[in-house]
Amino acid sequence: MFIRIFQLALLSCLLQAGFSVADEQGQTGEEPGESRWRLGAALGYGVRSNPLVQSDDIPIVVDLDIAWFGDHWFFDNGDLGVTFADNDRLTASLIARVNSDQIFFGKTDTRFVAFDFTGMPLAEAVDFKVPDRDYAVELGLELLTDGPWGRLQASTFHDVSDTHGGYEVYLDYSYGWREQRWYIEPSIGASYKSDALNDYYWGVREDEAGVVVAPYEASAGINVHARLMMGYQLSRHWSLSLITEYERINDEAAASPIVEDRNVLGYFAGVAYRFR
Amino acid sequence: MMRRLLIMGLLLLPGIAAAENDGDMLLSVKPVLCITDSRTPSCDMSFLVVWQSGDSGYYCLFSDFDDAPVRCWNEDREGRLNDPRTVENNFSYWMTGDDHGLRLAQVNVEVLRLDSDDRRRRRRTRHVWDIN
Repeated sequence: MFIRIFQLALLSCLLQAGFSVADEQGQTGEEPGESRWRLGAALGYGVRSNPLVQSDDIPIVVDLDIAWFGDHWFFDNGDLGVTFADNDRLTASLIARVNSDQIFFGKTDTRFVAFDFTGMPLAEAVDFKVPDRDYAVELGLELLTDGPWGRLQASTFHDVSDTHGGYEVYLDYSYGWREQRWYIEPSIGASYKSDALNDYYWGVREDEAGVVVAPYEASAGINVHARLMMGYQLSRHWSLSLITEYERINDEAAASPIVEDRNVLGYFAGVAYRFR
Repeated sequence: MMRRLLIMGLLLLPGIAAAENDGDMLLSVKPVLCITDSRTPSCDMSFLVVWQSGDSGYYCLFSDFDDAPVRCWNEDREGRLNDPRTVENNFSYWMTGDDHGLRLAQVNVEVLRLDSDDRRRRRRTRHVWDIN
């Protein structure tokens, strides 16, 4: 219920800001320049699989895109940044964000389990739930560069909320082709997760362990990911989108007793509207 | 009749073709949307222009590219042509009769740039669908 109210509030803000974009462009009477706002919404259907045991996949039906880009400061769908270098070669920014690993832990269930972690039957079924994990606020450096060869995004983030105390190094390469209304962009990348980060989210502490799961300590590891985006521009505002994503969770996290499937698959297909 | 049906059929394809009917003049252009980006800053394409009038007469097709007509027709009630262009900005086609100052029908062609010089707008976030 709260999530629905929050989504409606966001949608309301989006519409308000959308009218602001229109006003901004309408007042000049000249050829509209690039608005500082980037606002859009997509409606369709998609799913992101959940690698945790006793968990549900994450459905995607409505997706909002809310971003604002100033000369230095910017807000991009939850990421808050300040750009301190921007030239022909690269753009460098300091960014504060919320870690995304927590998202899987919000879709877990409590179930009765009849076997212990060695596979032996229990005398009496016990209830078990994947332990909770908190969001972490992270601060980091992001570098963006591009050229005829494609686009490269490199970043490193460290926890500043004393949640996991670890860090992540992220790299993503993409190359897009456009043929009039059609657009296709494959991308690949990897992210290194430090010992502390990996263990906080994917490890099992002594006080969380029991007959169902044994204690587990995860070391550092590297996730790899690939993505394919396809789009078709129907008109100035409307487009069709199809996105498929794959992420392979690192060996250390995949070996955790709370992980069922190391492959995270996602897709979304829908129609998107963008204020211009 | 078939021509009118064809033009009306084009009307049913939003964003691909557009037509305007001012009185007896029906003007259709295809395509009416051209996409550019940093790698392809202009559109190099052929625009199909189709017009039809209820009365035979002297009609001219104009565009924003030139003060002179693209083409004129004499004692015709319909016409079509392919107009190859390289465009970077929005422009219009319009039809006139004897009076070149009076536009009988007009269609606007939009050139839409879909990427940005600001790299931050292309950074990958955890957003699912964003493709522009």
